[in-house]
Amino acid sequence: MGFEIKRFQGDVDEELICPICSGVLEDPLQAPTCEHAFCRACITEWISRQPTCPVDRQAVTACQLRPVPRILRNLLSRLCTSCDNAPHGCNAVLKLDSLASHLVECEFNPKRPMSCEAGCGLVIPKDELAEHNCVRELRALIATQQGKLTDFQQELAEQRLTINEHKRELALLKEFMRAMRVSNPTMRALADQMEREEVVRWANSLARARVTRWGGMISTPDDALQVMMIKRSLSESGCPPHIIDDLMENCHERRWPPGLCSLETRQNNRRLYEKYVCKRVPGKQAVLVLQCDNTHVDEHMMVEPGLVMIFAHGIE
Amino acid sequence: MANIAAKRIKREFKEVMKSEEVAGGDIKLELVNDCWTELQGEIAGPPDTPYEGGTFLLEIKVPETYPFNPPKIRFMTKIWHPNVSSATGAICLDILKDQWAAALTLRTVLLSIQALLSAAEPNDPQDAVVAKQYRENPQLFNMTARHWTNIYAGGPTSVWEFNQKVQRLLDMGIDEHQARVALSTYDWELERATEQLFC
Repeated sequence: MGFEIKRFQGDVDEELICPICSGVLEDPLQAPTCEHAFCRACITEWISRQPTCPVDRQAVTACQLRPVPRILRNLLSRLCTSCDNAPHGCNAVLKLDSLASHLVECEFNPKRPMSCEAGCGLVIPKDELAEHNCVRELRALIATQQGKLTDFQQELAEQRLTINEHKRELALLKEFMRAMRVSNPTMRALADQMEREEVVRWANSLARARVTRWGGMISTPDDALQVMMIKRSLSESGCPPHIIDDLMENCHERRWPPGLCSLETRQNNRRLYEKYVCKRVPGKQAVLVLQCDNTHVDEHMMVEPGLVMIFAHGIE
Repeated sequence: MANIAAKRIKREFKEVMKSEEVAGGDIKLELVNDCWTELQGEIAGPPDTPYEGGTFLLEIKVPETYPFNPPKIRFMTKIWHPNVSSATGAICLDILKDQWAAALTLRTVLLSIQALLSAAEPNDPQDAVVAKQYRENPQLFNMTARHWTNIYAGGPTSVWEFNQKVQRLLDMGIDEHQARVALSTYDWELERATEQLFC
């Protein structure tokens, strides 16, 4: 819609007036053959109702509309107008083509965003600043956020419920597979492979660890205390259940491979330790040396599915 | 009222006021309310027509979607014309309907209605009875239109014979306008008009 004609200084030529809104042309377009010019908004609205030129009714479609000639645009941009915010006290008189940039920074814009300096720091339109009450606004804000929080909590509860359902289904499926596996060799191979992949996936999810003092190794850990704590940590890190018991057994030197099973062999093979790829048992002074990570290590230094080494200190 | 409609009407009102037609007494325009949604127009009956010398009032209602939709205009003064309903004053004129164009103004519309009085379009009638008479008995149509102009629009030509016939029905206790409509409809045959009124 065009600019109010009263805002302009002096007379505006009839050619610069939109025949639809009777204001001064704003972002004008013209019809292709008759070249009648209109504001973009006005002619778009008109053509959406009737595909004709509003002046002479020649057929026109929206895509046939063309920009007006440069001379017309120049004449328009030279017109001098008052600011949109003149009713709010702005006395600026501007060329039409600089109106847009002025409006962005006009001090008198009643809707100019201002930040409240009374303490709440909210950004509000200038004309609402006088009515603004920090406590009320902040209370409203808290209320909406609390509403959101409740929604999220509800969503979370629902998600948990679904996750639990999924877990139960998964357990059932696993049970089912185990049963299948007993009776069918192909299924057994498939399931073995899936289990192996599960171990690899888990192994990849764990962080690498470096042992700085191999001497701190505890070869005969206390079952009740140390081993149970390690087990819980492994379980929480997503250790596949079919290897967790074996791994826990492999915490103790009695289950360790020939190259590690006694103090003497350990002393002899000390230089081989550096070859181990170790994974951190989350939160514990312990490392996992999994078979799948250590296929390069000599057989007499490794057991299935891997070793757990508990240390007194020295894990990074 | 939408800003653009009010803006347009204000400007058009000024345009009409400054026009030479107003100066010449051909058309007039008045505001009915102060929100620019309702106006009253006035057109003079064109010379060399049965409407000559009459003054016809028009009711103009400006829709909120003006000028994307035409103003709603009807005759408030009763008129005998093929394209105007003798009962409601509704006008059958293409520019007030599907041929409306946003660049038309109250001034051009009033002038178009005035032109319609000079050049009726009996093939696209608003009032079938009037249109039939216009086609089949142009002389009688002329007289009837002149009579209506005299009675309702202050036209100069009084038709003595018609006045007598209306008076006869009036004496029988018939409402004056009803009597005139019946007589005009039945080509001023008193018997048929009476029959229709009393059946």
